Amino acid sequence: MAVHRAFGYFFREAIVNLARSWKISAVAVSTIAVSLFIGGALLLLIGNLDRQVQEWRREAKVIVYLRPGVTPAAASGLQASLRQPRWVSGVASVSAEQARQRFERYFPSVAELVHGWGEEPLPASFEVAYDPERVEPRAFEAWVQSLRRAPQVGMVDDDRDWVSQLEGVLRVIGGIGLAVVVVLLVAAIFTIASVIRLTAYLYRDEIGVMRLVGATELFIRGPFYVEGLVQGILGGGIALLALYLGHLVMVPQVPRTWLAGVLTGSFLSLRDQLLIVTLGAAAGLVGAVASLRREAV
Amino acid sequence: MIHFYRVSKHYPGGQRALDEVTFQIERGEFAFLTGPSGAGKSTLLRLIFRQEIPTSGQILVNGRNVASLPRRKVPFLRRTMGVVFQDFRLIPRKTVFENVSYLPRVLGLDGQRQKRLAYETLRRVGLAHRMKAFPLELSGGEQQRVAIARALVNQPEILVADEPTGNLDPEMAREIFELFLEINRRGTTVLVATHDAHVIDRLDKRVLSLRAGRLQEDSSIPGATAARRMSGVIAAGARPLTPLPEAVGG
Repeated sequence: MAVHRAFGYFFREAIVNLARSWKISAVAVSTIAVSLFIGGALLLLIGNLDRQVQEWRREAKVIVYLRPGVTPAAASGLQASLRQPRWVSGVASVSAEQARQRFERYFPSVAELVHGWGEEPLPASFEVAYDPERVEPRAFEAWVQSLRRAPQVGMVDDDRDWVSQLEGVLRVIGGIGLAVVVVLLVAAIFTIASVIRLTAYLYRDEIGVMRLVGATELFIRGPFYVEGLVQGILGGGIALLALYLGHLVMVPQVPRTWLAGVLTGSFLSLRDQLLIVTLGAAAGLVGAVASLRREAV
Repeated sequence: MIHFYRVSKHYPGGQRALDEVTFQIERGEFAFLTGPSGAGKSTLLRLIFRQEIPTSGQILVNGRNVASLPRRKVPFLRRTMGVVFQDFRLIPRKTVFENVSYLPRVLGLDGQRQKRLAYETLRRVGLAHRMKAFPLELSGGEQQRVAIARALVNQPEILVADEPTGNLDPEMAREIFELFLEINRRGTTVLVATHDAHVIDRLDKRVLSLRAGRLQEDSSIPGATAARRMSGVIAAGARPLTPLPEAVGG
Protein backbone atom coordinates (compact mmCIF):
# COMPACT_ATOMS: atom_id res chain seq x y z
CA MET A 1 0.00 0.00 0.00
CA ALA A 2 1.25 3.44 -0.84
CA VAL A 3 2.82 4.80 2.33
CA HIS A 4 1.16 8.21 2.13
CA ARG A 5 -2.26 6.65 1.69
CA ALA A 6 -1.66 4.33 4.64
CA PHE A 7 -0.58 7.24 6.85
CA GLY A 8 -3.53 9.29 5.69
CA TYR A 9 -5.81 6.44 6.68
CA PHE A 10 -4.03 5.89 10.02
CA PHE A 11 -4.27 9.57 10.82
CA ARG A 12 -7.97 9.86 9.94
CA GLU A 13 -8.81 6.76 11.96
CA ALA A 14 -6.71 8.01 14.89
CA ILE A 15 -8.57 11.32 14.90
CA VAL A 16 -11.91 9.47 14.79
CA ASN A 17 -10.77 7.28 17.72
CA LEU A 18 -9.65 10.34 19.68
CA ALA A 19 -12.91 12.14 19.02
CA ARG A 20 -14.94 9.05 19.88
CA SER A 21 -13.25 8.50 23.22
CA TRP A 22 -12.16 12.07 23.88
CA LYS A 23 -12.70 11.93 27.64
CA ILE A 24 -10.25 9.12 28.30
CA SER A 25 -7.93 10.53 25.65
CA ALA A 26 -7.98 13.85 27.52
CA VAL A 27 -6.80 12.02 30.64
CA ALA A 28 -3.85 10.55 28.73
CA VAL A 29 -2.98 13.89 27.13
CA SER A 30 -3.22 15.66 30.51
CA THR A 31 -0.93 13.11 32.16
CA ILE A 32 1.71 13.62 29.51
CA ALA A 33 1.24 17.40 29.61
CA VAL A 34 1.69 17.53 33.41
CA SER A 35 4.79 15.33 33.27
CA LEU A 36 6.37 17.40 30.55
CA PHE A 37 5.33 20.68 32.15
CA ILE A 38 7.20 19.72 35.32
CA GLY A 39 10.11 18.46 33.26
CA GLY A 40 10.10 21.61 31.15
CA ALA A 41 9.94 23.88 34.21
CA LEU A 42 12.96 22.10 35.65
CA LEU A 43 14.75 22.38 32.34
CA LEU A 44 13.98 26.09 32.23
CA LEU A 45 15.19 26.60 35.79
CA ILE A 46 18.32 24.52 35.43
CA GLY A 47 19.06 26.02 32.02
CA ASN A 48 18.95 29.57 33.37
CA LEU A 49 20.95 28.69 36.48
CA ASP A 50 23.49 26.87 34.37
CA ARG A 51 23.86 29.85 32.06
CA GLN A 52 24.49 32.04 35.12
CA VAL A 53 27.03 29.62 36.55
CA GLN A 54 28.84 29.46 33.24
CA GLU A 55 28.86 33.26 33.22
CA TRP A 56 30.38 33.19 36.69
CA ARG A 57 32.91 30.63 35.58
CA ARG A 58 33.93 32.90 32.71
CA GLU A 59 34.25 35.82 35.14
CA ALA A 60 35.96 33.81 37.88
CA LYS A 61 39.00 35.39 39.50
CA VAL A 62 41.73 34.43 41.90
CA ILE A 63 41.82 36.85 44.83
CA VAL A 64 45.19 37.08 46.53
CA TYR A 65 44.92 38.71 50.00
CA LEU A 66 48.09 40.27 51.32
CA ARG A 67 49.37 39.79 54.83
CA PRO A 68 49.17 42.89 57.06
CA GLY A 69 52.35 44.92 56.93
CA VAL A 70 53.58 43.82 53.52
CA THR A 71 55.79 46.55 52.13
CA PRO A 72 54.81 48.32 48.91
CA ALA A 73 57.92 46.92 47.23
CA ALA A 74 57.04 43.36 48.18
CA ALA A 75 53.47 43.94 46.98
CA SER A 76 54.73 45.30 43.66
CA GLY A 77 57.01 42.32 43.26
CA LEU A 78 54.08 39.98 43.89
CA GLN A 79 51.89 41.91 41.44
CA ALA A 80 54.56 41.60 38.77
CA SER A 81 54.88 37.85 39.34
CA LEU A 82 51.10 37.45 39.16
CA ARG A 83 51.15 38.69 35.56
CA GLN A 84 53.53 35.94 34.45
CA PRO A 85 51.30 32.92 33.67
CA ARG A 86 49.90 32.86 30.12
CA TRP A 87 46.29 32.52 31.32
CA VAL A 88 46.34 35.73 33.38
CA SER A 89 44.49 38.48 31.56
CA GLY A 90 44.75 41.21 34.17
CA VAL A 91 45.70 42.02 37.76
CA ALA A 92 43.78 44.68 39.67
CA SER A 93 45.03 46.03 42.94
CA VAL A 94 42.47 46.63 45.72
CA SER A 95 43.80 48.59 48.65
CA ALA A 96 42.61 47.94 52.21
CA GLU A 97 40.66 51.21 52.09
CA GLN A 98 38.98 50.28 48.80
CA ALA A 99 38.10 46.88 50.27
CA ARG A 100 36.38 48.54 53.21
CA GLN A 101 34.47 50.94 50.97
CA ARG A 102 33.35 48.08 48.78
CA PHE A 103 32.10 46.16 51.83
CA GLU A 104 30.14 49.21 53.00
CA ARG A 105 28.59 49.56 49.53
CA TYR A 106 27.64 45.90 49.13
CA PHE A 107 26.48 45.26 52.68
CA PRO A 108 25.13 48.57 53.98
CA SER A 109 23.06 46.94 56.73
CA VAL A 110 26.15 45.52 58.40
CA ALA A 111 28.51 48.35 57.48
CA GLU A 112 29.17 49.02 61.18
CA LEU A 113 31.22 45.86 61.29
CA VAL A 114 34.08 47.61 59.51
CA HIS A 115 33.80 50.84 61.52
CA GLY A 116 35.64 51.75 64.69
CA TRP A 117 38.77 49.77 64.10
CA GLY A 118 42.04 51.56 64.67
CA GLU A 119 43.38 50.45 61.34
CA GLU A 120 41.82 49.17 58.13
CA PRO A 121 40.04 45.91 59.08
CA LEU A 122 40.14 44.30 55.65
CA PRO A 123 43.35 43.29 53.90
CA ALA A 124 44.57 44.68 50.61
CA SER A 125 44.38 42.26 47.71
CA PHE A 126 45.11 41.56 44.05
CA GLU A 127 42.23 40.40 41.86
CA VAL A 128 43.69 38.20 39.14
CA ALA A 129 41.46 37.79 36.08
CA TYR A 130 42.23 34.91 33.77
CA ASP A 131 41.09 33.46 30.50
CA PRO A 132 39.47 30.03 31.16
CA GLU A 133 40.26 29.01 27.56
CA ARG A 134 43.99 29.31 28.23
CA VAL A 135 43.99 27.59 31.60
CA GLU A 136 45.94 24.34 31.88
CA PRO A 137 44.22 22.77 34.92
CA ARG A 138 47.21 21.11 36.59
CA ALA A 139 49.56 24.06 36.04
CA PHE A 140 46.85 26.43 37.22
CA GLU A 141 46.30 24.42 40.39
CA ALA A 142 50.07 24.34 41.07
CA TRP A 143 50.24 28.09 40.54
CA VAL A 144 47.40 28.69 43.05
CA GLN A 145 49.16 26.45 45.59
CA SER A 146 52.44 28.32 45.10
CA LEU A 147 50.60 31.61 45.73
CA ARG A 148 49.23 30.19 48.99
CA ARG A 149 52.81 29.48 50.09
CA ALA A 150 54.17 32.93 49.16
CA PRO A 151 55.37 34.94 52.23
CA GLN A 152 53.47 38.13 51.25
CA VAL A 153 50.16 36.24 50.90
CA GLY A 154 47.73 35.76 53.77
CA MET A 155 44.98 33.92 51.88
CA VAL A 156 43.99 32.95 48.33
CA ASP A 157 40.38 32.66 47.15
CA ASP A 158 39.87 30.73 43.95
CA ASP A 159 36.37 31.44 42.54
CA ARG A 160 36.49 28.12 40.73
CA ASP A 161 36.01 26.36 44.07
CA TRP A 162 32.55 27.71 44.76
CA VAL A 163 31.57 27.70 41.07
CA SER A 164 32.42 23.98 41.01
CA GLN A 165 30.36 23.46 44.17
CA LEU A 166 27.46 25.27 42.56
CA GLU A 167 27.79 23.13 39.46
CA GLY A 168 27.68 20.07 41.71
CA VAL A 169 24.47 21.31 43.30
CA LEU A 170 23.03 21.94 39.85
CA ARG A 171 23.92 18.41 38.78
CA VAL A 172 22.14 17.00 41.84
CA ILE A 173 19.04 19.13 41.14
CA GLY A 174 19.20 18.04 37.50
CA GLY A 175 19.48 14.38 38.50
CA ILE A 176 16.52 14.60 40.88
CA GLY A 177 14.54 16.46 38.24
CA LEU A 178 15.39 13.84 35.63
CA ALA A 179 14.30 11.06 37.99
CA VAL A 180 11.00 12.83 38.70
CA VAL A 181 10.39 13.38 34.99
CA VAL A 182 11.21 9.75 34.17
CA VAL A 183 8.76 8.53 36.84
CA LEU A 184 6.08 10.89 35.56
CA LEU A 185 6.71 9.90 31.96
CA VAL A 186 6.50 6.22 32.82
CA ALA A 187 3.17 6.95 34.52
CA ALA A 188 2.08 8.81 31.39
CA ILE A 189 3.13 5.88 29.19
CA PHE A 190 1.06 3.51 31.32
CA THR A 191 -1.91 5.87 31.11
CA ILE A 192 -1.63 6.08 27.32
CA ALA A 193 -1.19 2.32 27.09
CA SER A 194 -4.35 1.78 29.15
CA VAL A 195 -6.33 4.27 27.10
CA ILE A 196 -5.27 2.68 23.82
CA ARG A 197 -5.89 -0.81 25.12
CA LEU A 198 -9.36 0.31 26.12
CA THR A 199 -9.96 1.85 22.70
CA ALA A 200 -8.74 -1.35 21.02
CA TYR A 201 -11.13 -3.30 23.26
CA LEU A 202 -14.01 -1.07 22.17
CA TYR A 203 -13.11 -1.82 18.56
CA ARG A 204 -12.41 -5.53 19.02
CA ASP A 205 -15.31 -6.61 16.79
CA GLU A 206 -14.15 -4.30 14.03
CA ILE A 207 -10.62 -5.53 14.42
CA GLY A 208 -11.89 -9.09 14.03
CA VAL A 209 -13.62 -8.10 10.80
CA MET A 210 -10.48 -6.34 9.55
CA ARG A 211 -8.44 -9.48 10.13
CA LEU A 212 -11.03 -11.60 8.34
CA VAL A 213 -10.94 -9.52 5.19
CA GLY A 214 -7.15 -9.70 5.07
CA ALA A 215 -5.85 -6.57 6.78
CA THR A 216 -2.26 -6.89 7.96
CA GLU A 217 -1.38 -6.33 11.62
CA LEU A 218 0.34 -3.07 10.75
CA PHE A 219 -2.78 -1.84 8.99
CA ILE A 220 -4.89 -2.77 12.03
CA ARG A 221 -2.52 -1.35 14.61
CA GLY A 222 -1.36 1.68 12.63
CA PRO A 223 -4.26 3.93 13.69
CA PHE A 224 -3.62 3.07 17.35
CA TYR A 225 0.08 3.89 17.00
CA VAL A 226 -0.80 7.21 15.42
CA GLU A 227 -3.37 7.80 18.17
CA GLY A 228 -0.65 7.38 20.81
CA LEU A 229 1.68 9.60 18.83
CA VAL A 230 -0.96 12.33 18.50
CA GLN A 231 -1.76 12.13 22.22
CA GLY A 232 1.93 12.47 23.04
CA ILE A 233 2.47 15.41 20.69
CA LEU A 234 -0.66 17.11 22.06
CA GLY A 235 0.58 16.56 25.62
CA GLY A 236 4.02 17.94 24.75
CA GLY A 237 2.50 20.89 22.89
CA ILE A 238 0.18 21.75 25.78
CA ALA A 239 3.07 21.54 28.25
CA LEU A 240 5.15 23.83 26.07
CA LEU A 241 2.31 26.31 25.65
CA ALA A 242 1.66 26.33 29.39
CA LEU A 243 5.36 26.89 30.08
CA TYR A 244 5.52 29.72 27.57
CA LEU A 245 2.42 31.43 28.91
CA GLY A 246 3.61 30.90 32.47
CA HIS A 247 6.97 32.42 31.62
CA LEU A 248 5.32 35.30 29.79
CA VAL A 249 3.00 36.09 32.71
CA MET A 250 5.60 35.52 35.43
CA VAL A 251 8.46 37.61 34.06
CA PRO A 252 6.89 41.07 34.52
CA GLN A 253 5.56 40.15 37.96
CA VAL A 254 8.66 38.86 39.67
CA PRO A 255 10.51 41.37 41.80
CA ARG A 256 13.61 42.74 40.16
CA THR A 257 15.95 40.73 42.28
CA TRP A 258 19.06 38.96 41.14
CA LEU A 259 17.62 35.47 41.81
CA ALA A 260 14.32 36.24 40.08
CA GLY A 261 16.27 37.53 37.14
CA VAL A 262 18.25 34.32 36.95
CA LEU A 263 15.20 32.05 37.24
CA THR A 264 13.09 33.87 34.70
CA GLY A 265 15.99 34.72 32.42
CA SER A 266 15.33 33.33 28.99
CA PHE A 267 12.77 30.81 27.73
CA LEU A 268 13.69 27.31 26.58
CA SER A 269 15.88 27.08 23.52
CA LEU A 270 14.38 25.72 20.31
CA ARG A 271 16.29 22.50 20.93
CA ASP A 272 14.72 22.11 24.39
CA GLN A 273 11.27 22.92 23.02
CA LEU A 274 11.68 20.22 20.37
CA LEU A 275 12.95 17.86 23.06
CA ILE A 276 9.74 18.31 25.08
CA VAL A 277 7.46 17.65 22.10
CA THR A 278 9.64 14.72 20.97
CA LEU A 279 9.55 13.22 24.46
CA GLY A 280 5.76 13.52 24.41
CA ALA A 281 5.56 11.87 21.00
CA ALA A 282 7.93 9.10 22.08
CA ALA A 283 5.96 8.48 25.29
CA GLY A 284 2.74 8.26 23.27
CA LEU A 285 4.22 5.89 20.72
CA VAL A 286 5.85 3.69 23.36
CA GLY A 287 2.53 3.55 25.24
CA ALA A 288 0.69 2.53 22.08
CA VAL A 289 3.24 -0.09 21.08
CA ALA A 290 3.34 -1.48 24.62
CA SER A 291 -0.45 -1.67 24.82
CA LEU A 292 -0.72 -3.61 21.55
CA ARG A 293 2.39 -5.72 21.99
CA ARG A 294 0.59 -8.74 23.31
CA GLU A 295 -2.60 -10.21 21.92
CA ALA A 296 -4.52 -7.22 23.17
CA VAL A 297 -6.26 -6.73 19.85
CA MET B 1 -9.08 -25.71 -4.76
CA ILE B 2 -9.86 -26.81 -1.18
CA HIS B 3 -8.24 -30.02 -0.11
CA PHE B 4 -8.59 -31.56 3.37
CA TYR B 5 -6.54 -34.63 4.12
CA ARG B 6 -7.18 -36.44 7.40
CA VAL B 7 -7.79 -33.18 9.22
CA SER B 8 -8.54 -33.29 12.94
CA LYS B 9 -9.16 -30.47 15.33
CA HIS B 10 -9.20 -31.10 19.04
CA TYR B 11 -9.78 -28.37 21.58
CA PRO B 12 -8.19 -28.25 25.00
CA GLY B 13 -10.14 -30.48 27.32
CA GLY B 14 -10.33 -33.23 24.74
CA GLN B 15 -13.31 -32.02 22.73
CA ARG B 16 -13.04 -33.32 19.17
CA ALA B 17 -14.44 -30.76 16.75
CA LEU B 18 -13.21 -32.59 13.64
CA ASP B 19 -11.91 -36.08 13.29
CA GLU B 20 -9.91 -37.32 10.30
CA VAL B 21 -11.89 -35.31 7.76
CA THR B 22 -10.87 -35.81 4.14
CA PHE B 23 -12.47 -34.22 1.08
CA GLN B 24 -11.64 -32.15 -1.96
CA ILE B 25 -13.53 -29.30 -3.59
CA GLU B 26 -12.58 -28.45 -7.16
CA ARG B 27 -12.20 -24.99 -8.67
CA GLY B 28 -15.59 -23.54 -9.62
CA GLU B 29 -17.53 -26.05 -7.57
CA PHE B 30 -20.53 -25.21 -5.35
CA ALA B 31 -20.84 -27.31 -2.22
CA PHE B 32 -22.96 -27.33 0.91
CA LEU B 33 -21.58 -28.25 4.26
CA THR B 34 -24.30 -29.54 6.51
CA GLY B 35 -24.87 -31.33 9.74
CA PRO B 36 -26.46 -30.73 13.14
CA SER B 37 -25.31 -28.06 15.55
CA GLY B 38 -21.93 -28.95 16.98
CA ALA B 39 -21.07 -31.20 14.05
CA GLY B 40 -17.97 -29.13 13.27
CA LYS B 41 -19.17 -27.04 10.30
CA SER B 42 -17.96 -23.70 11.63
CA THR B 43 -14.68 -25.21 12.77
CA LEU B 44 -14.10 -26.61 9.31
CA LEU B 45 -14.73 -23.21 7.71
CA ARG B 46 -12.50 -21.45 10.25
CA LEU B 47 -9.73 -23.88 9.31
CA ILE B 48 -10.09 -22.86 5.67
CA PHE B 49 -9.53 -19.17 6.36
CA ARG B 50 -6.96 -19.95 9.05
CA GLN B 51 -8.82 -18.65 12.04
CA GLU B 52 -8.00 -22.03 13.53
CA ILE B 53 -5.08 -24.39 13.03
CA PRO B 54 -5.70 -28.14 12.72
CA THR B 55 -4.39 -30.45 15.39
CA SER B 56 -3.33 -32.86 12.65
CA GLY B 57 -3.72 -33.36 8.93
CA GLN B 58 -3.15 -31.08 5.98
CA ILE B 59 -5.26 -28.39 4.38
CA LEU B 60 -4.51 -27.01 0.95
CA VAL B 61 -6.36 -23.92 -0.18
CA ASN B 62 -5.58 -22.84 -3.69
CA GLY B 63 -2.23 -24.60 -3.49
CA ARG B 64 -1.21 -23.15 -0.11
CA ASN B 65 -0.68 -25.33 2.90
CA VAL B 66 -2.85 -23.38 5.28
CA ALA B 67 -1.80 -25.17 8.46
CA SER B 68 1.86 -24.30 8.04
CA LEU B 69 1.32 -20.82 6.64
CA PRO B 70 3.36 -18.25 8.62
CA ARG B 71 1.18 -15.89 10.58
CA ARG B 72 2.32 -12.85 8.64
CA LYS B 73 1.09 -14.46 5.41
CA VAL B 74 -2.41 -15.20 6.70
CA PRO B 75 -3.82 -11.82 5.57
CA PHE B 76 -2.67 -12.56 2.03
CA LEU B 77 -4.45 -15.94 2.10
CA ARG B 78 -7.63 -14.27 3.31
CA ARG B 79 -7.52 -11.74 0.49
CA THR B 80 -8.00 -14.61 -1.96
CA MET B 81 -11.26 -15.63 -0.33
CA GLY B 82 -14.47 -14.01 0.78
CA VAL B 83 -16.10 -14.95 4.06
CA VAL B 84 -19.75 -14.44 4.97
CA PHE B 85 -21.25 -15.03 8.42
CA GLN B 86 -24.71 -15.53 9.84
CA ASP B 87 -24.37 -12.34 11.91
CA PHE B 88 -23.07 -10.31 8.93
CA ARG B 89 -20.16 -8.81 10.92
CA LEU B 90 -20.39 -5.39 9.37
CA ILE B 91 -18.77 -2.38 11.01
CA PRO B 92 -21.75 -0.39 12.31
CA ARG B 93 -20.02 3.00 12.44
CA LYS B 94 -19.00 2.80 8.80
CA THR B 95 -21.31 3.27 5.83
CA VAL B 96 -22.17 0.49 3.42
CA PHE B 97 -19.64 1.93 0.99
CA GLU B 98 -16.89 2.09 3.64
CA ASN B 99 -17.60 -1.48 4.73
CA VAL B 100 -17.31 -2.74 1.18
CA SER B 101 -14.31 -0.60 0.23
CA TYR B 102 -12.29 -1.60 3.28
CA LEU B 103 -10.32 -4.33 1.52
CA PRO B 104 -9.49 -2.17 -1.54
CA ARG B 105 -8.22 0.40 0.94
CA VAL B 106 -6.11 -2.25 2.71
CA LEU B 107 -4.73 -3.18 -0.70
CA GLY B 108 -3.68 0.42 -1.23
CA LEU B 109 -5.86 1.11 -4.25
CA ASP B 110 -6.41 4.78 -4.98
CA GLY B 111 -9.66 6.45 -4.04
CA GLN B 112 -11.16 6.26 -7.52
CA ARG B 113 -10.51 2.54 -7.86
CA GLN B 114 -11.83 1.92 -4.36
CA LYS B 115 -15.05 3.72 -5.29
CA ARG B 116 -15.42 1.98 -8.62
CA LEU B 117 -14.87 -1.49 -7.16
CA ALA B 118 -17.19 -0.90 -4.23
CA TYR B 119 -19.88 0.58 -6.46
CA GLU B 120 -19.69 -2.24 -9.01
CA THR B 121 -19.84 -4.88 -6.29
CA LEU B 122 -22.74 -3.20 -4.53
CA ARG B 123 -24.55 -2.95 -7.87
CA ARG B 124 -23.98 -6.67 -8.34
CA VAL B 125 -25.77 -7.43 -5.06
CA GLY B 126 -28.46 -4.82 -5.82
CA LEU B 127 -27.49 -2.29 -3.16
CA ALA B 128 -25.76 0.49 -5.08
CA HIS B 129 -28.53 2.86 -4.00
CA ARG B 130 -27.79 2.25 -0.29
CA MET B 131 -24.09 3.12 -0.40
CA LYS B 132 -24.34 5.94 2.09
CA ALA B 133 -26.55 4.10 4.55
CA PHE B 134 -25.21 2.64 7.78
CA PRO B 135 -25.63 -1.12 8.36
CA LEU B 136 -28.16 -0.69 11.14
CA GLU B 137 -30.43 1.25 8.78
CA LEU B 138 -30.73 -1.82 6.55
CA SER B 139 -32.87 -4.95 6.76
CA GLY B 140 -31.24 -8.27 7.63
CA GLY B 141 -31.28 -9.38 4.00
CA GLU B 142 -29.71 -6.12 2.90
CA GLN B 143 -27.03 -6.37 5.57
CA GLN B 144 -26.19 -9.88 4.40
CA ARG B 145 -25.95 -8.64 0.83
CA VAL B 146 -23.54 -5.94 2.00
CA ALA B 147 -21.50 -8.65 3.73
CA ILE B 148 -21.49 -10.64 0.48
CA ALA B 149 -20.44 -7.54 -1.44
CA ARG B 150 -17.57 -7.05 1.01
CA ALA B 151 -16.60 -10.69 0.50
CA LEU B 152 -16.72 -10.31 -3.29
CA VAL B 153 -15.08 -6.94 -3.73
CA ASN B 154 -11.63 -8.39 -4.31
CA GLN B 155 -13.00 -10.95 -6.77
CA PRO B 156 -12.02 -13.90 -4.57
CA GLU B 157 -11.46 -17.37 -5.91
CA ILE B 158 -13.30 -18.91 -2.98
CA LEU B 159 -16.40 -17.77 -1.13
CA VAL B 160 -17.01 -19.35 2.25
CA ALA B 161 -20.30 -18.75 4.06
CA ASP B 162 -21.23 -19.89 7.54
CA GLU B 163 -25.01 -20.16 7.97
CA PRO B 164 -25.51 -17.05 5.84
CA THR B 165 -29.30 -17.27 5.95
CA GLY B 166 -29.67 -18.31 9.58
CA ASN B 167 -31.04 -14.90 10.56
CA LEU B 168 -33.17 -14.32 7.45
CA ASP B 169 -36.74 -15.11 6.48
CA PRO B 170 -37.27 -17.69 3.67
CA GLU B 171 -37.73 -15.08 0.94
CA MET B 172 -34.52 -13.26 1.84
CA ALA B 173 -32.73 -16.60 2.21
CA ARG B 174 -33.83 -17.52 -1.31
CA GLU B 175 -32.44 -14.22 -2.65
CA ILE B 176 -29.13 -14.81 -0.90
CA PHE B 177 -28.78 -18.31 -2.35
CA GLU B 178 -29.65 -16.98 -5.81
CA LEU B 179 -26.78 -14.57 -5.32
CA PHE B 180 -24.42 -17.39 -4.34
CA LEU B 181 -25.41 -19.34 -7.44
CA GLU B 182 -24.78 -16.32 -9.60
CA ILE B 183 -21.37 -15.82 -7.97
CA ASN B 184 -20.58 -19.48 -8.57
CA ARG B 185 -21.63 -19.21 -12.23
CA ARG B 186 -18.95 -16.54 -12.63
CA GLY B 187 -16.33 -19.07 -11.58
CA THR B 188 -15.96 -18.56 -7.84
CA THR B 189 -15.74 -21.70 -5.74
CA VAL B 190 -18.51 -21.55 -3.14
CA LEU B 191 -18.75 -23.49 0.11
CA VAL B 192 -21.82 -22.78 2.23
CA ALA B 193 -22.44 -24.20 5.69
CA THR B 194 -26.14 -24.53 6.34
CA HIS B 195 -28.67 -26.86 7.87
CA ASP B 196 -31.49 -25.63 5.70
CA ALA B 197 -32.48 -29.00 4.18
CA HIS B 198 -35.04 -27.38 1.93
CA VAL B 199 -32.44 -25.22 0.21
CA ILE B 200 -30.02 -28.12 -0.08
CA ASP B 201 -32.64 -30.28 -1.74
CA ARG B 202 -33.87 -27.52 -4.03
CA LEU B 203 -30.46 -26.50 -5.35
CA ASP B 204 -29.23 -30.04 -5.88
CA LYS B 205 -25.53 -29.27 -5.33
CA ARG B 206 -22.79 -31.31 -3.75
CA VAL B 207 -23.34 -31.88 -0.03
CA LEU B 208 -20.70 -32.63 2.59
CA SER B 209 -22.37 -33.84 5.72
CA LEU B 210 -20.68 -33.73 9.10
CA ARG B 211 -21.74 -35.48 12.28
CA ALA B 212 -19.82 -35.33 15.52
CA GLY B 213 -16.78 -34.05 13.69
CA ARG B 214 -16.67 -36.82 11.11
CA LEU B 215 -17.50 -36.55 7.43
CA GLN B 216 -20.44 -38.91 7.09
CA GLU B 217 -21.57 -38.18 3.58
CA ASP B 218 -20.19 -36.70 0.42
CA SER B 219 -22.93 -36.49 -2.18
CA SER B 220 -20.36 -36.36 -4.96
CA ILE B 221 -20.04 -40.07 -4.46
CA PRO B 222 -22.49 -41.53 -7.01
CA GLY B 223 -25.78 -42.52 -5.44
CA ALA B 224 -25.19 -40.85 -2.15
CA THR B 225 -27.67 -38.01 -2.69
CA ALA B 226 -30.31 -40.39 -3.91
CA ALA B 227 -29.74 -42.63 -0.93
CA ARG B 228 -30.06 -39.64 1.41
CA ARG B 229 -33.23 -38.48 -0.28
CA MET B 230 -34.83 -41.85 -0.31
CA SER B 231 -34.08 -43.00 3.18
CA GLY B 232 -33.38 -39.78 5.03
CA VAL B 233 -30.49 -41.61 6.54
CA ILE B 234 -27.03 -40.19 6.10
CA ALA B 235 -24.99 -42.38 3.85
CA ALA B 236 -21.66 -43.43 5.23
CA GLY B 237 -18.20 -43.08 3.74
CA ALA B 238 -16.31 -40.29 2.03
CA ARG B 239 -14.84 -40.10 -1.40
CA PRO B 240 -11.41 -41.76 -1.31
CA LEU B 241 -8.57 -39.37 -1.93
CA THR B 242 -5.02 -39.71 -3.01
CA PRO B 243 -2.88 -38.87 0.05
CA LEU B 244 -0.95 -35.60 -0.13
CA PRO B 245 2.79 -35.67 -0.34
CA GLU B 246 4.46 -35.27 3.05
CA ALA B 247 5.79 -31.79 2.46
CA VAL B 248 3.54 -29.33 0.73
CA GLY B 249 4.81 -25.81 0.28
CA GLY B 250 2.74 -22.82 1.33
